[in-house]
This record gives sequence, C-alpha cells and structure tokens, in this order.
Amino acid sequence: MSYAYLFKYIIIGDTGVGKSCLLLQFTDKRFQPVHDLTIGVEFGARMITIENKPIKLQIWDTAGQESFRSITRSYYRGAAGALLVYDITRRETFNHLASWLEDARQHANANMTVMLIGNKCDLSHRRAVSTEEGEQFAKEHGLIFMEASAKTAQNVEEAFISTAEKIYKKIQDGVIDISNESYGIKIGHETHTTSSGGRDGTSSQAGSCCS
Amino acid sequence: MERRRGIDDYEPGPVPPQRPLDRFGFIKQEVGGSTPEGLPKSRLVADYEREARRVRKWRKMIGVGGSDWKHYARRKPHVVKRRIRKGIPDCLRGLVWQLISGSRDLLLMNPGVYEQLVIYETSASELDIIRDISRTFPSHVFFQQRHGPGQRSLYNVLKAYSVFDRDVGYVQGMGFLAGLLLLYMSEEDAFWLLVALLKGAVHAPMEGLYQGVKIVFKVGLALLKYCHEDLIKLSFEKLIHALRNFPEDAMDPDTLLPMAYSIKVSRSLEDSKDEYEKQNRKHIQSTELIGKA
Repeated sequence: MSYAYLFKYIIIGDTGVGKSCLLLQFTDKRFQPVHDLTIGVEFGARMITIENKPIKLQIWDTAGQESFRSITRSYYRGAAGALLVYDITRRETFNHLASWLEDARQHANANMTVMLIGNKCDLSHRRAVSTEEGEQFAKEHGLIFMEASAKTAQNVEEAFISTAEKIYKKIQDGVIDISNESYGIKIGHETHTTSSGGRDGTSSQAGSCCS
Repeated sequence: MERRRGIDDYEPGPVPPQRPLDRFGFIKQEVGGSTPEGLPKSRLVADYEREARRVRKWRKMIGVGGSDWKHYARRKPHVVKRRIRKGIPDCLRGLVWQLISGSRDLLLMNPGVYEQLVIYETSASELDIIRDISRTFPSHVFFQQRHGPGQRSLYNVLKAYSVFDRDVGYVQGMGFLAGLLLLYMSEEDAFWLLVALLKGAVHAPMEGLYQGVKIVFKVGLALLKYCHEDLIKLSFEKLIHALRNFPEDAMDPDTLLPMAYSIKVSRSLEDSKDEYEKQNRKHIQSTELIGKA
C-alpha cells in the first residue's frame, strides 16, 4: 500500500522495560513473553491512518543496556518520533529517564516528538512509579504521556498513533520542514504507482522505496 | 527480579516435547514447505560416513584427551588449518575449541577458581544477568525451562565472568556465547573458554591461525553474495526481514564456507574501519559541542 507520509520512530529506554514487546504488539498484535533479548537494533513497520491519510511508521527498536548506547545513538538521527519507555514496576527505569532524554536532545533533531510510556501497567499490584509521577515528568519535559501494557495491548495502539498525530500536526502547522530528511519524514507517492519499474514484489510494495 | 516474582506474570512452561527440534536442539520454526526431511536418504548416509571419517582423523590428530594436540599443531599447522576449515566434527568441538583457544591451560593453571567465583563472590551485574537468562536461546530445549539446569549453568558462568573481569562485567550478548559453549562442555570448561575468547589466553597455541573479525566479514559477504539476486529485488522492509531469515540452503556450511574462504578481504577493511570510527567520533563530538553550546 502506498502512503502519504513515512515517519521514522525510535524506541528507547532501559533494558527489560518491554520495548520489543511494545513493538511486537503494535506491528503483529501479539504478546510474546519469551523472546530473544535485543542486541543492537531491531526493526518493525506498520501502516496507520490519520485524517484519512495513509501513514507508514518505520520503527527502530534499540538495545537498552548502557554498553550499546554508542550504537543506538546513531539511530536518533533522522527520527521524527521517539517512544521513551520505562517499567512502572521498576523504579530505576524511571530514574534513568533524564539521561535518556539527554541522549535524545544531543543526538536527535530538536523537533522530534517524544512519547513517554509507562509500560507493564497490567502489573499494578507491583507498581513502583505512580501515574502522577509519570505525568509530572512528561509535563516538565514537554512529552506526551501514557501508561500502557504490551501484554494486554492496553494503550499500545494509542501510544504509537497519538505520537503520529502530533507529528502530523507539526507538519500541518509548518513546524517541520518535510523537505529536510533529518526530520525523519518522507513524502510518499500517494497516487497509484503500482507499476514501479523493476520491482519484483507484490503490488503492496509500491511506494515503499525508503531506506 | 521478574523471574522470582513472576508467578502471576507470564509462565511459558515446558514446550510440548513433540515439537520437532533441529540437530542442535533448537525448536524448529514452522517455515512452510522447505523442510530438510526432503533430502534423499543416500545423501544423509554419505554425510554420516563423511563425518565418521573426519572423527577418526581428528581423534588421531589430537590424541587421547588432546595429549598430542600441541605437538601436531606445531608440526603441521597447515593440516590443522585445512581440517578446521572442513569442519570440526560436532562430537569433538567441545574439546577441540578448548585446545585451540588455550582455555584448557587456563583451567589447569587455575584450579578451584571457578568454584570460588560461583559460590563466594557477588557481582554487581546479578540482576541484569537474571533478567536476561530467559531471553537467551528461549527456543532451545536446554535453556527453555525456567530455573532448569541450562538456565542455572548459564547464570553461573555469566556471573563468574562478571566477577572475574570486573572492568567489563556483564554485557548483553555474552549469554548467547556462553550458552552455545554450554551445549558442548561443562560449566567450568565453558567459563574458561569464555575467558580465553574475551580476554585472551596466556598462550593460545593456534594464535597464528586466528582469523579475527575478518572471517566474520567473509561469512557475511558470502551470505550476501549467495542471496544477492533475491536481495536486490526487495523493498527496504522486506530486506530487513530477509537479512535476519536467510533460507536454509544459504546457510549450508558446505556451500557457504568455501565461498567465504574464497573472498579476499584486503587491508582496505582496516582502513574502512578507521575511517568509520573517525567519522563517528567527529559526529559525536560535533553533536556534543552543539549540546553544550
């Protein structure tokens, strides 16, 4: 399927907070409790619709451990949106948010939209960070905020989509210069370009000439 | 500490034993169609006989328990190299890896050290390691059982290493290395081999034959070359998927490795690496400057 815009996302946050599970829940609508830990980066993509415009989300999922920061840092460049994830049952993952934001501020473009996600909200009996604290942090740093659960899918869809809505609004308002690729947005050919020369895939491939 | 509290959490439980495994013990992914069961029986017999011949040659070469190994490697390094490239027989890999790396010597020089590290020492990385244990080879029979012998051994080796090499500690990804070793040898042997691989042995008998990162590149390039025709047709997203899921025929070592060995990686690899690192540094420095401004 062709798209009007392509938004590049990056998912960041401490190890074990559920970054890969959020991505899998969003792209495949399933929860996989047992999966390989992420080394370096992983990738996922999905189409969504905003104001009747097809938008493709291209999502880079990163390794959380400190040792991999030098690798993951290079993925901030050219990201339109970031999902910054912590685990509501592990206080330290919340305490580290500031250092993640610092990384983002240093390596991403200043107009990157950041969504703060308090994941694992299904485990409310083990909660170590209150919803208000999450809200407060988001407010102080100008982030959108949601608590979500990759396990139950609660708010997962919403988190990815409202980030896209915010980005879309920035485009409409002229805050983002879409001709500049470092903002992490690409314009697709919305017209029916099924006959893209030489590409041998299915017709759904048309227009996904992104890299 | 999800693992201990995780009763109400996800509980993967043992996978039904009838799930088919590959010959290394991984649960087979249901990939439609191309199953290796389709191989003609004659080929399997030929493979089996070839492996048996190799085992006999290798046993002769290394001697009982590896006693002749050093002597042989000094006298005929080219033969050793050729045989390694043809493939170390699976049943001897555990022993041969220890001999080649020099980890066997480390073990003999440090009696009781591993036990000390496992039982008495504590590591700052313990929680990090625990969090990753169930995320390491979750589709392997030996590691999938929660708190099973596989997971316990993996934890011990990783914890011991993080104490032994405190500067490095525990880094994600080590588990896949240690886990693979544990499929071939005891905990203590695996620990010393991990040490030899990550820190280097006192004296590795095969040092002159080490290929280092070059062989990693060669195998990678061979894979790309083998699948080139298919890969260049793909869109970006399909490409990413394809690069993680190479077809089975591409991964056949008898096809892939000769191809990898034939690829010449020149000095320019080192130059490219230097250039990349220089650029990366420059980028990081410039963004840091901007950040401070």
